[in-house]
Amino acid sequence: MNPTDTISSAPLMPFYIAAAIAAAGLLFVLRPARGNLRRAGTVIGLAGFGMLLAQAIKLAGPSESSISTPFYMVFAAIGIIGAVRVITHPRPVFAAIYFVVTVIAAAAIFLMLQAEFLAFALIIVYAGAILITYMFVLMLAHQSPEDEIGRIGDEDYDRIPREPMVAVLLGFFMLAALGAVIERAPELAMENATIAQTRMVTRSANALQSMPLAMLAQARLKEPTAISLAKDASGNSGGNSSDNFGGNSASSASTWDGTMLQVRVNTEDNEVRCVAVDPAQCIDNVQLVGLDLIAKYPASLELAGVILLMAMFGAVVLARRQIELGDDERRRAAGMSSMVLDLPETERGGN
Amino acid sequence: MPLLAQAAAQLAPTQGVTVALAFSAALFCVGLVGFLVRRNMILMFLCTELMLQAAAIAFIAFGRMRMDTGGQVFVIFILTVAAAEAALALGLVVLLYRRRETLSAEAWQELHE
Repeated sequence: MNPTDTISSAPLMPFYIAAAIAAAGLLFVLRPARGNLRRAGTVIGLAGFGMLLAQAIKLAGPSESSISTPFYMVFAAIGIIGAVRVITHPRPVFAAIYFVVTVIAAAAIFLMLQAEFLAFALIIVYAGAILITYMFVLMLAHQSPEDEIGRIGDEDYDRIPREPMVAVLLGFFMLAALGAVIERAPELAMENATIAQTRMVTRSANALQSMPLAMLAQARLKEPTAISLAKDASGNSGGNSSDNFGGNSASSASTWDGTMLQVRVNTEDNEVRCVAVDPAQCIDNVQLVGLDLIAKYPASLELAGVILLMAMFGAVVLARRQIELGDDERRRAAGMSSMVLDLPETERGGN
Repeated sequence: MPLLAQAAAQLAPTQGVTVALAFSAALFCVGLVGFLVRRNMILMFLCTELMLQAAAIAFIAFGRMRMDTGGQVFVIFILTVAAAEAALALGLVVLLYRRRETLSAEAWQELHE
């Protein structure tokens, strides 16, 4: 039997071994043990994770290594260290801060994956909004108790993990199962590379065609005297680009031949010129995502709005109940009967 | 067409995407372990945020691989869900904290009041 056959029959074995090593390291780190053991766990876990990434690169197949791969690995390592600190740090506030580290590492990876808009949206929404909410609630609810010397200690439920063995075992199985997906990804990418590129350029061309202003701006880069998009022979729209956004109003002024977009423009000296524009370099990430969001997923967008509205209603309802509880406690502290029992029927129904 | 093939060779997502996918898988598992291991209710929800983050990275990586912006659009929805979840979950946690004066999830092993 050819030795390469045996290797290809179990290509994931090294991946599983790396996952097991990483899981063992995580288990040591989770245990509330002495410093040495934790340090050893950190080293073992990082080594396991490094092996994991190395295996992922090996699974990527015989592609030429790109310059950005080490950056991916560094940011992945930073993100994982942050995540592990989130689940091991005895102080909740520090755990939340380490979550920001993970968010920033993920944003860096988004940037390298050409999702520029979402990289910054992630930092603004996660690190800016959601994490602040978490911090606010943590500081509102969490007071570290002082021990007899007056030193501020940590709560037991923050120091002692619950069933670390079972949890790590489950995490290991989950990672092993996800390994199969990672294994299949590169061949998919290879199959799709050319098609995907074609799709990208075509899509950019379509997007550009439905944005007359952007198209005119791009045409102006090549033909500085262009003042407006040209009308087509039948006299349809596409003339003054500023007042007919949307639809395919500009498509009459352009033709798409598969690689270059031919844009017809009126120049200052009343001529109609044809300008070739490369759509792949015209449409940026924000425009593409925005157009996709509006044009392809309008129902989902509405649904997202409904979800946010419901969350707002829910938060208001919860806050209202808290105020009632506060009143109740105040009454009880004053020796009066509880308000919950003698609530009027209408108010109880309202809840 | 040679232009396209050239561009495809330049932009073909390979190693970076697989590393991002491995990172996503590992991050999801760390979040899962954290959700099981943590006993502080707020941090349990923080661990679900870790898992959402991992899902977002996977979406972006696969979208990059297929040159499809649909992945990025879905990450916007993930952000929406994460924000809604944070608002509701934290409201609930504060409510629970007012009742028991502790953030420990074990304080709520019995749900009858």
